[in-house]
Amino acid sequence: MLHLLKIDLKKLTNYRTFWVVCGIYFISLSFITASGMEVLKFAADKIEDFGGAINIRRVPLYHFPDVWQNLIWVAGFFKFVLGVMVIISVTNEFAYRTVRQNVIDGLSRWEFLKSKILTNAVLAATSTVLLFVIALITGLIYSPEIHFTELIDDVEFFPAYFLQLFGYLSFALLLSIFINRSGLTIIVLMVARGLELFFIHKVVNVDALDKFFPLESMEALITLPFQRYVFMEVLDHPLISMVIIASFWVFMFNYFAYLKLKKSDI
Amino acid sequence: METVLSIKGLTKNFGALRAVNQLNLEVQAGQVFGMLGPNGSGKTTTLGMLMGVVNPTGGSFTWFGQEPTHLVRRNIGAVLEHPIFYPYMSGQMNLEVNAMIKGASKESIEKVLDVVGLTERRNDKYRTYSLGMKQRLAIGSALLNDPKVLILDEPTNGLDPMGIAEIREIIKRIAADNKTIILASHLLDEVQRVCSHFAVLRKGSLVHSGPVGDVGRGEETVEVIAFHDDLNHILMQFDGTMSVKRTIGPFEVKMREGFTAGDLNKFLFDKGIVVTHLITQKKSLEKQFLEILAETK
Repeated sequence: MLHLLKIDLKKLTNYRTFWVVCGIYFISLSFITASGMEVLKFAADKIEDFGGAINIRRVPLYHFPDVWQNLIWVAGFFKFVLGVMVIISVTNEFAYRTVRQNVIDGLSRWEFLKSKILTNAVLAATSTVLLFVIALITGLIYSPEIHFTELIDDVEFFPAYFLQLFGYLSFALLLSIFINRSGLTIIVLMVARGLELFFIHKVVNVDALDKFFPLESMEALITLPFQRYVFMEVLDHPLISMVIIASFWVFMFNYFAYLKLKKSDI
Repeated sequence: METVLSIKGLTKNFGALRAVNQLNLEVQAGQVFGMLGPNGSGKTTTLGMLMGVVNPTGGSFTWFGQEPTHLVRRNIGAVLEHPIFYPYMSGQMNLEVNAMIKGASKESIEKVLDVVGLTERRNDKYRTYSLGMKQRLAIGSALLNDPKVLILDEPTNGLDPMGIAEIREIIKRIAADNKTIILASHLLDEVQRVCSHFAVLRKGSLVHSGPVGDVGRGEETVEVIAFHDDLNHILMQFDGTMSVKRTIGPFEVKMREGFTAGDLNKFLFDKGIVVTHLITQKKSLEKQFLEILAETK
């Protein structure tokens, strides 16, 4: 297992584009999630009436335990960049035909796919750990007082975030295996969520079925947390039913990728 | 003798097109096996199936008497069609990736770089290599695990004469190392020089297979020129003559078995005719190849 991961990481770490795209992703992710409070304060100083009636400085965005869910929800917006990296990595193998040579050299098709899946897991895990560290540090800075019970409250969003990100990268991997061409795959990844929303709301339009759709099920793992600052109830933990549905889709993405790769002449 | 490769009824359809049709073939250890056939005759598709990248429609094959799995492939070095590497990585890095896949040691990388003469350029990016260097790197990569079998598909395709000479040298060196080599090629003259056995494919079907040494056996053809008005008639009188043909220049006498150019020369001399040109035509693989293809049309 580790051996397969090492093979894929060797291909990637010698590839300049990998460092550029991952650099963009991890730096922008860290910078934006970490600097939110300072940006809001700055805006409040410069713009009169910014935030309207709420005193922006008083909003406990970065207080434990709110900070966990807040940052995780925001981090969800960046996953497209990581998805693009996965697409480049996989479609390159088809463009250069190296997937063919890898199999000739003695990798099974399943091993090839497994090396890509493991890389997805590593990328998702790295994001999760990075985000945890950022949330922990900013939480320690901004929380007025720190209680251990509050600190560990809501951390179950991290496994959910990992699942969401890993699922999204699995989807990108699936698209790459089916489409093989980088540009087209990136476009499909870009519009897939929009198409799904259109389908959910304009075609099916049955609320109870929403959560069974693949991308929606993963988005629903982490609910929008900010309404709580206007005194609305928010779901402050991932639903176990959503974890099950999302896990099912993550499995199916990778399984379909396997079936496709196994059946095709490469 | 150990059977390295045994193919039974191997078939591949691409839609309505039958690329490989009921192929049966055996390759024994130590053979240098040439696969001949015009473009599109199914050579590369066959090799693709043998190396697990093309799924067969029907039939089966075994390597070393075992079911073909990816683990078996690690002991076979193969270059199919073009060399394939990651263009953004150096030759060295590419070989490191392939060594990891094959489970070959790091030391073997140095060794194969030396064999194919790329030690100096090892750290340059693959995309900066010339076609000949790419081809050599591919052969080097195929040699990484010290494989028992080497499969080379058109290894000299598109190379300049110097590149061809280099590749030929490398193949000879490898063949001398007692490896089994399967060589798909258009260069008949090369196959005749290097190979011990050969098979001819046409439109996906096997039309001939046998030892290269058998080529040229059987009847001989002798070219004759002599200054005599009625040479055609006299040649027909010779006991060893099967047929006489003249297009331009010399008469071509097809001999019966057991007769040679010497017998013909003596016969003519006894008749008082002195020949000025007498050559025994060796049947080349090229000629045989074209004959086989013509016969099966």
